[in-house]
Amino acid sequence: MLAPPLQRLVTELSKLPGIGNRTAQRLAFHMLRTSEQDAFALAEAIRDVKLKITLCEICFNLAEGPRCTICLDERRDLSSLCVVEEAQDVIPIERTHEFRGRYHVLGGALSPIDGVEPEDLRLSQLYARMDGVREVVLATNPTTTGEATALHIAAALHERAPDVAVTRLASGLPVGGDLEYADEVTLGRAFAGRRAL
Amino acid sequence: MRYGEADRILHLYTPDRGRVSAIAKGVRKAKSRFGGRLEPFFQLNLVLYEGRSDLMTVTSVETIAAYPRLREDAAALDGAARACEAVARLFDDGEPHAGVYHLLANELALLNREPQRAGRANSLAFRLKLLLAAGFAPHLAACASCGEREHLVGFSGAAGGVVCGACEASAFPLAEEAHAFMVAALGRPLAETPEAPPLALAQAERAITETLEHHAHLRLRPVGTR
Repeated sequence: MLAPPLQRLVTELSKLPGIGNRTAQRLAFHMLRTSEQDAFALAEAIRDVKLKITLCEICFNLAEGPRCTICLDERRDLSSLCVVEEAQDVIPIERTHEFRGRYHVLGGALSPIDGVEPEDLRLSQLYARMDGVREVVLATNPTTTGEATALHIAAALHERAPDVAVTRLASGLPVGGDLEYADEVTLGRAFAGRRAL
Repeated sequence: MRYGEADRILHLYTPDRGRVSAIAKGVRKAKSRFGGRLEPFFQLNLVLYEGRSDLMTVTSVETIAAYPRLREDAAALDGAARACEAVARLFDDGEPHAGVYHLLANELALLNREPQRAGRANSLAFRLKLLLAAGFAPHLAACASCGEREHLVGFSGAAGGVVCGACEASAFPLAEEAHAFMVAALGRPLAETPEAPPLALAQAERAITETLEHHAHLRLRPVGTR
């Protein structure tokens, strides 16, 4: 029904996560209507990201070149390391401006049911980075797989680097949330970690 | 399983409908009204909307048991994951079995109450009870081939249980301690599972594995060496 180049665009767009055929058609028609400059800028951005973005050789964050901007920044605290599951988890932590150390991206979380074992994560590279590190912050997701990963790493670090302090992000209630909707595990942890005012 | 921007597809085990799948919309957002209740290993009262698709939609959640302590122990978490995986693999969609539901709830409650019980003996006892519920429990009282009650020296997955010296052609040797462990694990509550030497546990695991392969045509992940 559609002209072959347009149909090809619809087909490619519908491969994106969360994009069905109807949305893909709407996006394709939008691109057809938009200026050549905007459309080519999008194509160029996609091409650039595929050609230029690699994994940082130190922390496995996304990088343009061999090292990411955080590992290249000499003002960052070398004695503090924050462990996250995926590269996109670095962004919300950076937005808090609370952490000035460096990161280590594991590339996932342990999940025996899905067949993700310790060998599938960048754990050996993490253990090899303990020189000069005083604290490792385990910032894996507060999910069952994230907790299992944090427990596994904590046990391994206590054995391999007993002088390194291993900490875990606190669990608690989201700001603006309602106690009524808090689950029992979160509320229990919020109580256990309550602070004096 | 993560789905879309903030949704998750859940695999649930229910007493009335067996294994079912449902989608929980927005559950990965920090302010989701479901909170953390839809994480694995929660026992829940759920309200599910059944539309035209195979996937139901979670509309309301109430916690029966959260099992918070098992989430703080790596071995208990691993034991709980293996238990859930065994149930999911052995029982198909639409095969309700209230006994299996209660067995799984008991296992999670035990791992929460006594996380130190997590380990090979506990996982094997759970699998043996699961075999019993699925109708694949191995014959342990007498030779599975000829009925002989003495000189039970091997185990044959094909025969479906222990075998005597005369029938052991396709069997592997089964030590008395392994046999005793399997009998006790099947007969006693999970909380009273006996310990056994590593060799006996390895033989019991092999017996369970061969039984599953021959009769259910599936292979579960090894239970580990703890």
